[in-house]
Amino acid sequence: MATTVLIVDDHSAFRSRAKRMLEAEGFEVVGEAGDGASGVDAAQRLSPDVVLLDLQLPDITGFEVAEAIAARPPSPAVVITSTRESDDYDARARRSGACGFVSKAELSGAAIEELLP
Amino acid sequence: MTIVDTDLPERYRALLLAALDCVVTMDHRGSVVEWNPAAERTFGWSAAEAAGREMAELIVPPSLRERHRAGLARYLAGGEPVVLDRRVEITAMRRDGTEFPCELTITRSTQPGAPLFVGYLRDITERHTAEAELHASRARIVTAADDARRRLERDLHDGAQQHLVGLAMTLRLARRKLFDDPAFVAELLDEAIGDLSTATGELRELARGLHPAVLTEGGLQPALTSLAKRAGVPVAILAAPDERLEPTVEITAYFVVAEALTNVARYAEASSAEVRVQRVGGVLHVEVRDDGRGGAELGAGSGLRGLLDRVSAIGGTLFVESPEGVGTLLRAELPCGS
Repeated sequence: MATTVLIVDDHSAFRSRAKRMLEAEGFEVVGEAGDGASGVDAAQRLSPDVVLLDLQLPDITGFEVAEAIAARPPSPAVVITSTRESDDYDARARRSGACGFVSKAELSGAAIEELLP
Repeated sequence: MTIVDTDLPERYRALLLAALDCVVTMDHRGSVVEWNPAAERTFGWSAAEAAGREMAELIVPPSLRERHRAGLARYLAGGEPVVLDRRVEITAMRRDGTEFPCELTITRSTQPGAPLFVGYLRDITERHTAEAELHASRARIVTAADDARRRLERDLHDGAQQHLVGLAMTLRLARRKLFDDPAFVAELLDEAIGDLSTATGELRELARGLHPAVLTEGGLQPALTSLAKRAGVPVAILAAPDERLEPTVEITAYFVVAEALTNVARYAEASSAEVRVQRVGGVLHVEVRDDGRGGAELGAGSGLRGLLDRVSAIGGTLFVESPEGVGTLLRAELPCGS
């Protein structure tokens, strides 16, 4: 069965490209959200296996969204992504309850799978 | 009437009478002996009223009076002078009780007998206000530059960078599907070309916002024409200099017009606008007039405030005339050499 994914990102162009890329790599994209609050809701409602989560959202940061998702079962695996890069993003992502960070420049289904538990 | 000793040489009298600074003399008891016209104007006490009164009561704020008296007593008792013969800044008080910053020098006159102290005082309220405004303006300029950099980072992040990231994903996918599904790959490549073109367009817009290349290359005339074309309302350029001016003057004039036209499109509800930029002698006059609803104020929006700082930074002035219902005239005068 395909790994299900929820994409949370405020840029629709990115969501559509990421969706197509992940689907071509065998993932099933079950939902999209454009901000943190609806991302947290969708994570609970859709119970995906993975949430691909942008770091810079219009309302709250991806780290905060990851914490909120981790606090509410079924708490799917969260992978944080961004066009920005910083050495401490991966550690901060893990502290917030996510599996890790992958930059958008390196994003692929394989990169996500590597981070999954 | 002014108290200036009639025995003094006439030239000294004239000096005291004409001085723009307050010149006051106090005897060893702390009482006023001389009080020139500038002191009358500054402190609000006439010379006749001041004569013989304790200086401290007239010009020293209550909270500082005891210190003043103690200082005088200490000096008269043989203590080292603290404020004599050097410039100090103090707080002084007017007749109505208002306090103001004042610079002061006190010297002791050398005639025999009991000492007399001559004080020169200057109200430096305006200088302090100007300094405070200068500091505030500098701080705003720094903040505006920081804001601009933040905006630029965000624009790059939200715009071109997203398209380029999407483009990279599309190309990676195309490479993977190259042999399996050539028709799909052709579709992906078309999309990639579209993404690239969008990203290029956004970068071009961003670059123009940072510094318009048309201004650098052709000066104000083509740059204003280009601004007018992109404005949200019809804009007539009634005058534009065909000569090249100092780059700082050109870019400031350009941003005055750009900001004005942005405001016209956003707030003025105008049907048209006119731009007139003319050099008269050593001043470049920049005017943008619209027929909108008026009511604009210089201090109201951060845009106009920022523009004021920019104009002031090169020694220019900015005015807004914006009667309700009549329209707005934004006018800048920029020094541009002779």
